[in-house]
Amino acid sequence: MDLRRSRLAVLLVAALVLLAIVESVNAITASLFAPSEKDWQAVASAVKAEFKEGDLVVAAPAWADPVMRLHMGDLLTPAIAARLDDDRFGRVWQVAQRGARTPEVRGTLAQSHRYGALTLERYDRKPAKVHFDFVAAWHRARVVRREPGRGELDCPRGTDRFACPNLGFNFVKPEILEIGHSLRQALYAQPVGGATVVIEFGEPELGSELVVAAGLHHVWFRKAGDGDVVLRVFIGGHERLVQKSDNASGWQRSRIDTADLAGTHVPVRFEITSERPFARHFGFAAEARSP
Amino acid sequence: MSTVLLTPRDRRIDRGIAALLAVLTLCWLLGTEGKQGIGRDEAQYMRAAERYWGWFAHLTDNIKSGHIRSSFTRSGLDTYWSDNAPDHPVVMKILYGVSWRLFHGKEAEVGRSYHPLAYELDHGTIPIFRRPTTAFRFPAMLMAGLLAALVFCLAREFLPRTPSVLAAVLAVAQPHYFFHAPLACFDAPVTTMAVAVGLCYWKALRSSRWGLITGVVFGIALGVKHNAWLMPIFLCGHYIWMHRARLMRFRLPPIPLAFVAMLVAGPLLFVAHWPWIWVSPIARTQIYVMRHLQHEHYNFEYLGRNWNLPPTEIGDQLLRATFPWVSTALTVPVTTLLLAVVGAVFLIRRRKSVSNPESTPTWKTPGRGIDRARGAYFAVQVLGPMAVLTVPSTPIFGGVKHFMPAAPYLAIVAAMGAHAAWLALSTTVVPNLAARWRRLVPSLPVAFAALLALPAVSETQRSHPDGLSHYNLIAGGFAGGATLGMNRQFWGYSVLPLLGSMAKNTPARRNVYWHDVMGDALNLYIRDGRLPPGMGNTGVGEDAIRNSDMGIIVHELHMNLYEAVFWDNYRTVQPTWVRTREGVPIVTGYKRPGAPFVDLTTP
Repeated sequence: MDLRRSRLAVLLVAALVLLAIVESVNAITASLFAPSEKDWQAVASAVKAEFKEGDLVVAAPAWADPVMRLHMGDLLTPAIAARLDDDRFGRVWQVAQRGARTPEVRGTLAQSHRYGALTLERYDRKPAKVHFDFVAAWHRARVVRREPGRGELDCPRGTDRFACPNLGFNFVKPEILEIGHSLRQALYAQPVGGATVVIEFGEPELGSELVVAAGLHHVWFRKAGDGDVVLRVFIGGHERLVQKSDNASGWQRSRIDTADLAGTHVPVRFEITSERPFARHFGFAAEARSP
Repeated sequence: MSTVLLTPRDRRIDRGIAALLAVLTLCWLLGTEGKQGIGRDEAQYMRAAERYWGWFAHLTDNIKSGHIRSSFTRSGLDTYWSDNAPDHPVVMKILYGVSWRLFHGKEAEVGRSYHPLAYELDHGTIPIFRRPTTAFRFPAMLMAGLLAALVFCLAREFLPRTPSVLAAVLAVAQPHYFFHAPLACFDAPVTTMAVAVGLCYWKALRSSRWGLITGVVFGIALGVKHNAWLMPIFLCGHYIWMHRARLMRFRLPPIPLAFVAMLVAGPLLFVAHWPWIWVSPIARTQIYVMRHLQHEHYNFEYLGRNWNLPPTEIGDQLLRATFPWVSTALTVPVTTLLLAVVGAVFLIRRRKSVSNPESTPTWKTPGRGIDRARGAYFAVQVLGPMAVLTVPSTPIFGGVKHFMPAAPYLAIVAAMGAHAAWLALSTTVVPNLAARWRRLVPSLPVAFAALLALPAVSETQRSHPDGLSHYNLIAGGFAGGATLGMNRQFWGYSVLPLLGSMAKNTPARRNVYWHDVMGDALNLYIRDGRLPPGMGNTGVGEDAIRNSDMGIIVHELHMNLYEAVFWDNYRTVQPTWVRTREGVPIVTGYKRPGAPFVDLTTP
């Protein structure tokens, strides 16, 4: 073996040995670097001491969310945990580990503290003012099914939903849905073949934008069907948004500029259709806001 | 790395080492299996195993009473053998049933009504296992021990003793393999059979006796799991490559005895071993084959996406094609991977041995007198199973287990890398050692091998009992795997550590939602004495959560659906329990606020 090759061989063996040592040490010590129960309890105490209504607590990485909720789930309602987005929250507490960050952390870093393997940070920003939450105010809607040649069939409101005539699956109700594997508080409305499901709100107060998010609920039904669902949004009778949801689109968010209508009360209508409605379980949420 | 020639004494020592490796592997598994919960499919196989044993018991009764024929009628067979058919053949399930009957200790009295068939005995013939589930699992653990021994034997065809031992250790010490090894399933056993068939074939290239043995071993492999269908294809690939010079001269090589034996003995043994087939051999074999050729794509998370259909877009197909390669890169201990790369380089650079013109290949000894192309042999054994999983239309729901027969061969290639590294070290550093260190030289190869085995062993021990959730140093461990969006688990086995807390907080209405933990697994936990009976089971699906006062979510990406139902129906997002590994949630449990609960653990 010449000198160059023998040096190379020694280097390779040295690298192998070093890797073996690093990997072994890492395997033996890795659990020491995970957040402990004590770390989580310390963070929970710190957050609860300063938590105010309208705050949001998030975990980073997102997979730590169940552990965060175990310790601080009492600070979150189902509607907040399954929120449309985080724009309405003025203070966001991020409980992070391993240097992760969540998309929710925007604004000014107001405080930061380390608790063992966890880092607690609070970000302050100007919250969006919500003028009208279309999911929370679901009971104020009027729901009809529009069929060609039959006009509009009224869907009467019950205790937990609007139920349309003759079709058991044709209803509109607020529910926490699984859309693109994320959990969302939404209006659950399945499309009907050859018909339009119409959800109309008479006079909601508008802000400078209308944020709409939608997608297909239920992993098994996304597997079973392949049709698109189209959501049309009309403001004051004018079509302002056409959004298509398919198996891959997930929770899709759109903003409609309503600055010219801010502060006014204008009818908002959502129309849901699908050419292939088999196994299409659709959900959407909307908020009239001013950022 | 020339072929190793062995004296009779060497052979005796090797047999002893192989046996020791098998025993140590068995001890490692017996010492750890109790912490590993019962998987959904595993519980079905245990149930089927007990039923199959029932047929043998019934057959004995019928022989005694002179009604032997009734055991072989359609109903006499289907009553027992239609359980878990046409899903899997029955070699291992029969062994699981026999092992349970022989070795189970006194089962929990409360579990008496949880047997699939009426059973009156207090304990097995030789009651050495406290839990019946350990008795069911014992043959799988023996097969894992056999794997260690076989890997050592195969490695000895190419390597000295110390790296051959390393090969055996690296084969067992892979977290995902180790997870599957003790389970009363088929994935680890068929991995053993892949090495058994491969070893027999290799020897058969120069021995007609081994040619016949290859056929029999292949027949047994067919009875273990359908992965065995692929074994001849990989071996054909090697055989063609080995005879490529002849083929390029448009001359056909001899059809080897091993292949003839596989073709004859394989189907015969397959049909002979499976009583369910006997009723209608062609039709039922067809049903079995189609069951696997048309298998549903269950949900599986890979790189942050849920895969449950064959991808149709080209971008998705390409991403999906990376699955076996990325999964290997992120699950096999990194030192093992690097050693395998070194070993592969040395296999590629190996000089072909000179052909012996006086010894020509025949159909009985088709590898005699020519180079047996060991590089191609390991290439087809490692890359073959992975290549099958590269095809985007193949389901990937079992993760690494779908191409696990590649793992032991990868371990041998890694051991070749270790041996090559040692050779480099012994020709450069060792001769220059100071005199006072020279006396350590004889023990250096063993120390070097032990050092290279340490990361694999420590990673494997770290992963236990959640090997499916474990990812390697490149991925960043449990947390890294979760961040990358790699599958965390399947089969609902991971609930075991929560059973005690759940029993202490049983809903007064006895309405527990068990999510992915199926009824068969619950029955076995009860028989094991690890779960009190009477906790209730509301079944599966969203309504089962709505009808419950307590329930769990076993974390997989597609299971988020069920957490939505908990939030919506329980009106809380705060779990009662979260079971984690290094901070990563594995199972989350909820209690309905305001519902009454009782403690079932106190009399």
